[in-house]
Amino acid sequence: MSKPILTQINWHNPLSPWGAKTTDIPTVAATDCSDVWDANTEYKAKTYKVGRLKHYVIWPNHGQRMWTRLRWWPTRRNLLHVKGLYNRKTLVAEKKILDRRPIYWAICLLLIAMGPMLFPASMYNTMLSAGTIFGIFAAINVCWTLILGAASIFSLASYAVVGVTAFVTTYASIQMGLPWFTLPILGGFLGLAMGGLIAIPALRLDGFYYALLTLGLNELCRVFFTTSKQFGSASGGLYGADSFLPASWSPEAQSLLSYYSALALLIAALFLFRFINGKRLGRILRMAPEKREAFAAACGVDYRKARVTIFIITSAALGFIGGFYATLYGGTAFSIFSFDTVLLGLAMVTIGGIGKAEGAILGTLVVTFLDKVLISWGPMRMFLIGIIMLGVVLFLNTGYFGIKKQFNAWRDKKRGEWRSMRTEKGGEALPEEATEEDDKDVLYFLRFDKMQRDYLKGLICPEIIEEHRRQPLGQHSAALERLLMYFRRAPMDDKYALHRNSATGKFKIIAFSGERGVSPRVVEDREYDSIGDGYHAIFMRRVHDLLES
Amino acid sequence: MELSFILTNAIVVAAIYGLIAVAVSITWSSLGLINLGYGFVFSFAGYCAWLMAQNVSEWPPLVAGAGILGGALAGVMICLVVFIPLHDKPNFTTRGMIGTLAISLIGSQALLMQFGPRAKALPEIFGFWQVDIGGVILTSDKIGIVVCSILMLGFVVMWMRGSRRGLEIRAMMMNPHAASIVGIGIRSTGVYVMAMTGAMAGLASVLLSQTYYVAPFSGLTPLIKGVSIALCGGLGSVQGAVIAAVILGLTEAVTSRYLGGQYVLITQFLVIILILIVRPRGISGLLDKAREQ
Amino acid sequence: MTDVLRIDGLSAGYGPLRVIHDLDLVIKPGERLGIVGLNGHGKTTLIYAIAGLTGWQRGSILLNGTQIGRTRSQGPGRYTHQIVRKGLALMPQGDEIFTGLTVEEHLDSGAFTREAWRDRKIRKERVLDLFEPLRKLMRTPVGRLSGGERRMVSIGRGLMTDAKLYLVDEPSLGLAPKIGQSVMEALFALDLKDSAMFIAEQNVALLEGRVDRVIGMHAGKLKGEASAGLGFN
Repeated sequence: MSKPILTQINWHNPLSPWGAKTTDIPTVAATDCSDVWDANTEYKAKTYKVGRLKHYVIWPNHGQRMWTRLRWWPTRRNLLHVKGLYNRKTLVAEKKILDRRPIYWAICLLLIAMGPMLFPASMYNTMLSAGTIFGIFAAINVCWTLILGAASIFSLASYAVVGVTAFVTTYASIQMGLPWFTLPILGGFLGLAMGGLIAIPALRLDGFYYALLTLGLNELCRVFFTTSKQFGSASGGLYGADSFLPASWSPEAQSLLSYYSALALLIAALFLFRFINGKRLGRILRMAPEKREAFAAACGVDYRKARVTIFIITSAALGFIGGFYATLYGGTAFSIFSFDTVLLGLAMVTIGGIGKAEGAILGTLVVTFLDKVLISWGPMRMFLIGIIMLGVVLFLNTGYFGIKKQFNAWRDKKRGEWRSMRTEKGGEALPEEATEEDDKDVLYFLRFDKMQRDYLKGLICPEIIEEHRRQPLGQHSAALERLLMYFRRAPMDDKYALHRNSATGKFKIIAFSGERGVSPRVVEDREYDSIGDGYHAIFMRRVHDLLES
Repeated sequence: MELSFILTNAIVVAAIYGLIAVAVSITWSSLGLINLGYGFVFSFAGYCAWLMAQNVSEWPPLVAGAGILGGALAGVMICLVVFIPLHDKPNFTTRGMIGTLAISLIGSQALLMQFGPRAKALPEIFGFWQVDIGGVILTSDKIGIVVCSILMLGFVVMWMRGSRRGLEIRAMMMNPHAASIVGIGIRSTGVYVMAMTGAMAGLASVLLSQTYYVAPFSGLTPLIKGVSIALCGGLGSVQGAVIAAVILGLTEAVTSRYLGGQYVLITQFLVIILILIVRPRGISGLLDKAREQ
Repeated sequence: MTDVLRIDGLSAGYGPLRVIHDLDLVIKPGERLGIVGLNGHGKTTLIYAIAGLTGWQRGSILLNGTQIGRTRSQGPGRYTHQIVRKGLALMPQGDEIFTGLTVEEHLDSGAFTREAWRDRKIRKERVLDLFEPLRKLMRTPVGRLSGGERRMVSIGRGLMTDAKLYLVDEPSLGLAPKIGQSVMEALFALDLKDSAMFIAEQNVALLEGRVDRVIGMHAGKLKGEASAGLGFN
């Protein structure tokens, strides 16, 4: 509150129109009571200009009527969630796109598809092979995201599944001469079997026990394959599977074909993600998030079965990817099992945010770019990946795609704190009390009373007290009059009064009980000779009480 | 003769991996952090010992001391970078685990950049001598390894039982909120825990380098074995980790004797999976409730 | 002599909820102060705010002349251990205990300052004199104790250091009246010397006449001294 400005209030003689001699007499200076009112009722929160909060894509309306379509014929989908409504300012009919994600997906996938046209000529081959690897790894990571996010099984064995199926299908292709198109299918079945096997401990173990176990499983596969003779322990990998790349094509055409087939694989993985996460299984598991499984189970959700189902389906998909990998490259190297691969995979999944398909793809893009395109940087690039991973983990709750949510949550928390810090002292009613009070007038009265007291406290000064001492009754200055009015209006309980034992006795201060039939209590033992002294003593007590309140 | 050989081998292996397992176990139970950065701690400590042997002296206690100090230093580094900023954030367990993995990635790459990919050998700490006890020939390094790790383990257990810091750590395992009320700082205790467990990993590194070499990525296998032993023994329990270490050491020795080295991990994992299916919280998962968030 | 605790304009709350409104309080050395008030009027929050355990807080809190309060809104409990080490003994509501430790280790864990740790044997004896029933339970894990015994342990743990200020939150809550009475007796029997004790309690009858001052707490503010003179007769 700014420093109160005292203004002179004159006492105006009401009899002046009838010829009274004294007209206006200056009295004690006092502040204007509207200052307190203004200070208490002004809007104190700092306001900012608000920009556009959310941008929607808006099309003009189509035809005469408002757009009211629930689905696109002949599908059962409501892609883009288009809604017709009138513009609030211009009242023109419009169509609003509420769900823009399909547009972004289309743009991004289109960009990836146009990739070979955009790559710089000097890096063309590197970028193309990196793009192929990106497609495959993104597909693996999207599947892995299903396991980590939707099924919330913290499995680190996804690359092991891919690697095992790739090795076994390559081996089968070499030994039995299987044609290329059987390999992914064979891999799918193998992955299904492996998923079933790995899922058994997942039924019993908790999240992190399982994570550590699968980490060991990965190492187990690595040791087994690198040491066994059938799988080419000497050559650093097993090669020679039937490839679908026609040998007669030029190398450029071959790498272009592998790029687009990897892209097709990625799109297939995305569809798998959509059909698992967005449908019944995904919905079930969104009812049973971590640490609230018991509640979901009580609602009749068999979350265990749903999790294992997702795990097994996804393992089959990973097996399919493994078989595809084998036909694409004609075999596999042992590096698929290495701890670094798991680490890089985890980096890819973490950077974008665990549990989101777009997160998996963004993370894969970043990591593959660093790892495969910037080869000239040497060990620095691994270092960089580690730094990015660490930074994301330290600062972001759920990766890049969680930034917005995290920021909003933080802002809301801070806002709440600031708002509650600003609330005035003695709002008299706590928010929780305010909700309990039926009569809201009481709350407003308390608020007003507080303002009034604030103002009256400002009026009290030695001059007023002196004025009251001189003349407890009779005409007073405006300030003193306001004060006395307030005192007189006080409720009966604990209201002070003067008590005199006999007609000639002395005066004592008593306080009413406020209840009929209950006698007043004596406030103090002091006695006053004259009624004027008594009045003034009561006045002083009230002033004291007012200042204390 | 054969049996005794198997047994001694099992005990030696159990002693080394048991150290790391106990370190992982203590870190998890007191800080709630699954530290997968021990691979880096391991290599870092190995390089510290190597640098000491190379540049200062090959006097065994000095080399071992350098390894232990290096391990403690690396542990404190992990604590400062990952534990302290993250410990009160949401999803701490997952993020902490990934953070330690990232440290391990960065650290190994840094070691690779600094020292190159070639493996380094540490000097023999325990000399060359052997003892014949009732027909069982014990070589110096076996005795040294077992004695050193038992000493370290004993020291750690005594420290946890008897000292004020140990009491603080155990109190923090049970109830971190109450711990802060009685004046135990989560962050400062975290530094102590990580220094101690890092020192254990450092000692394990020096001991293991008696048979293997020091290389940027040499910490991986011990980490995975240590983690699986800790898992099997029940995260958060020291005696469970010791029992599991003995069981798995025995499995390893028996397998490599009768089936061949390449099957060691397979049999070990079968044993671990079996144990975990019977007891999902490990052999003595005492702290079931203590660390449930 | 400096006041044990001097709170100036303290406000505190959790997120958008403000529980304590511009509160001032002075506690003199050797004083035993009772705060009474109904549920949800901020007694526990006041204790938490002194210990730095609230969501956010503002205002100055001087403990023995050192500033322990400031405007802050980090996670609750971030600085609690440092504040506690400046001479605060906190005996929280609902017994924050370490279920796996024995009673003896529990009492040891309370002795976190260097001097207290050195002569923890004498201190344990002192606590056991106050709480006789604990003497034969020294080796039992606290998880197995009854509610009253747990309360004794958690209060005994707070008495292990030479705190400047003992903050006791609802010592009789959830206990059988007789046990509650005996716990209170122990609190009143403690020789405070130049430190002070602050007891938040719903049951005024337990405090009546035994503490130096009783202050009412209502809606996040202190309501005068409920009975500065009255309590003594």
